[in-house]
Amino acid sequence: MIWMSLRQFRAPALVGVAALALLTAYLLHLGLDIRQARDGYLAQCRPQGDCTRALAQFAADYENLLLFLAALLGLVPAVVGMFWGAPLIARELEAGTHRLVWNQSVTRRRWLLVKLLVVGVGSMTAAGVASLLLTWAASPVDAVADARFSTVVFGARNIAPIAYAAFAFVFGAVVGLLTRRTLPAMAMTVLAILVVQFAVPNLVRPHLMPPVTVDRAMTEDAINEARALGSITNGATVRGITVRDAWVTDVSDLRTRAGRTLDSRTFNDCLSAPDDPAVPASGRFGAAARCLGDLDLHVEITYQPHRRYWPFQFLESGLYLLAAGLLTLFGLWRIQRRIT
Amino acid sequence: MPQDVSEPVLRAEGLTKRYDRHTALTDCDLTIPRGRVIGLVGPNGAGKSTLLQLACGLIAPTSGTLRVLGAPPAADAAHLARVGFVAQDTPVYGSFTVAEHLRMGARLNPTWDGSLADRRIAQVGLDPAQKAGGLSGGQRAQLALTMAAAKRPELLIFDEPAAALDPLARNGFLRNLMEFVSELEASAILSSHLLGDVELVCDHLIVLCASRVQIAGDVADLLADHHRLVAPRGALDQRPPGLDVIGIEHTDRYSRAVVRAPRLRPETAWTVEPVRLEELVLAYMSRAAGMPAGRTVTAAGEVVR
Repeated sequence: MIWMSLRQFRAPALVGVAALALLTAYLLHLGLDIRQARDGYLAQCRPQGDCTRALAQFAADYENLLLFLAALLGLVPAVVGMFWGAPLIARELEAGTHRLVWNQSVTRRRWLLVKLLVVGVGSMTAAGVASLLLTWAASPVDAVADARFSTVVFGARNIAPIAYAAFAFVFGAVVGLLTRRTLPAMAMTVLAILVVQFAVPNLVRPHLMPPVTVDRAMTEDAINEARALGSITNGATVRGITVRDAWVTDVSDLRTRAGRTLDSRTFNDCLSAPDDPAVPASGRFGAAARCLGDLDLHVEITYQPHRRYWPFQFLESGLYLLAAGLLTLFGLWRIQRRIT
Repeated sequence: MPQDVSEPVLRAEGLTKRYDRHTALTDCDLTIPRGRVIGLVGPNGAGKSTLLQLACGLIAPTSGTLRVLGAPPAADAAHLARVGFVAQDTPVYGSFTVAEHLRMGARLNPTWDGSLADRRIAQVGLDPAQKAGGLSGGQRAQLALTMAAAKRPELLIFDEPAAALDPLARNGFLRNLMEFVSELEASAILSSHLLGDVELVCDHLIVLCASRVQIAGDVADLLADHHRLVAPRGALDQRPPGLDVIGIEHTDRYSRAVVRAPRLRPETAWTVEPVRLEELVLAYMSRAAGMPAGRTVTAAGEVVR
C-alpha cells in the first residue's frame, strides 16, 4: 500500500520537488547575501561604537523582500491542499478507480490512512524545508527587527508552517472525499484554507494563552509615542501603542480617570486644539497630545510577551495538527459508510 | 485459508437498496450454492450492478442482509482477498503501466499468484510496458480480469464483463474467462443484459427485472421445471393447479404458453414441448415489464390487442 501511494504521488511529488529545489537555491543565496550585508554594516559602524541605526537600516533593507517571501510561504498550505490534498480521493472517485483498488485485499480505511500518511508526510516535509530555510535566511534580520509575532512572520517561521501544511492537505483530501469531484474540491480547499489562515492569526492566536493586561497612563509623551489618533468611527482611540518585547493584541479606548470612555466631543475638541504660541508643543501630535495629556487619561493594553513565542508556535501547531487528526478520523469514518 | 464449504456463495434476505429517488433492488431473497457459474441477466437498469456492487461491498444495503462466503461483504482484508470484482467499465489507473498494475496487485494481495498474472498477460498479448491509459476497451477488460483473478479468489464477480467488446471478441473473451474460473476452482457471477453472453457459460441463472428477482436456479432445473405448452384456446384461462403461467400468446384456436410446473400432468389436448432458455428468460422479463400477457395473434399472424 505504501508502494502504491508513493507510485501515485510520484508525478505531483516531482513538481513539488522541482519547486522546492528552486526555492532552496534562492533561499540559500539570500541567506548568505543577508549575512554579508549585516557584516558590511557592522564593519562600518563598529569604529563609531553605536550600531543601532546601522542595524535598523540593515533590517529595513530586507524587510519588504522577507515579508514577500513569508507571504509566499503562507500560500504553501493552500497550494498543498489544492494540488496534493483535494485530488487524492476525488480523482479516484471521479475516474472510478476506487472500484479497482477497494477490491484488492486492503480495507478502505487502511487504504485511506496510508495515502493520508504518505502524502501528508510529503506535505509536511516540503513545508518544513521551506520554512526552516526561510527561518535560517531571515534570522539576522529577525534578530534586529524582532517582529516575531507579526501576523505574516509568525506563520512563516519555524514549525508552524509544517502543521499548516498537514492540516491543509488533510482538509483538501476530506473535501475531495465529500464532493467526489476534483475541481470543486480544489476550489473549495484553496478558499477555505485562505480564510482559515486569515482568521486564525486575528481571531484565535491572540487567545492561545491568557494575555497580560496593563493599564497605561496616557501622558503627552505616551500619546506622542502612538502611531495614530482617532479612527474612522470617530471614537476616542489611539493606535500603534507598543509594549517593549511584547505583541500588543488589543488597546482599549481612551478612558477617563473614572474609567469611562472619553466622549468623542472632548476628544475631537482636543484634536483641533490650538497650539500655545508661548510654549509650542513638540512631538508627533503637537497640541492635541498636550490637550489629551492634560485630561489624565489612560488605556488598557492587552499583550502577549515575546518570551511566549515558542509556547505559541507549539500551541498553534498543536491546534492545526489536532484539526488534521480529527479530519482524518472523520474521513476514516466517512469512507466506510458512504460510497458510490 | 478458512473455507466453510457449507456456506453458500451468496445469501440475501430481504435485500433492498434505495437511492435518493428510486429503488434499485427490492426485497431480494437469494441463495446461491457454491461451485456454480452464475449468470445474472436483466434489462439495463434492472438492478444488476447494484446487486453485484452490494455483493462486493462497494455499496451498503438500505435494508435486509447479505452474506457472501459466509460473511458480510468486504468484512475485512481477509474477506476482500476471497472475492474478486471487475467493475462495469473495468477501471484501471491510466498512468500505471500494465506491469505496474500487476505489481500493485502483488503488493495489495497476500494471495497474489504472480505467475498466473504474467502468464495471462502474455496469453492475451498485453505489453507489460504499456500505459493502461492507452489500452483499448477489450485490453482494459483483460487487464482488470487478470487483476481480479490473480488474487485467486473463491468468488469472482464480473459486472457486464463483455460490454466493452465487439461481438466477435465477446465469445472468445467469455470462453477464456470461464477456462480461467474453472482453473481457479472458483465460483463466478457475471451479469449481462444479453442472455446470449451468459447462456454459453453459466450453469445457474438469476433473472433480475424491475429491481426484483424474477427467477433463480440451476439452468438444468429451470429447463426441467418450465415447459412450452400449446393448448386449445381458453384451456389455460382457469389456471390449473400446480401450473404457473409465465407468458402466454393466443392464436385463434390455440394458446401458446410458457409455464412453470415442476410436476406437470399434461392433459391430452395439450402439446408439451421443452422450453428454450431464451424463451424462458424473455417470458419472465416480459411479465416483469408489465407487457400484456394475453396478446392475440390472428390466424394471419397479425397481432391484435
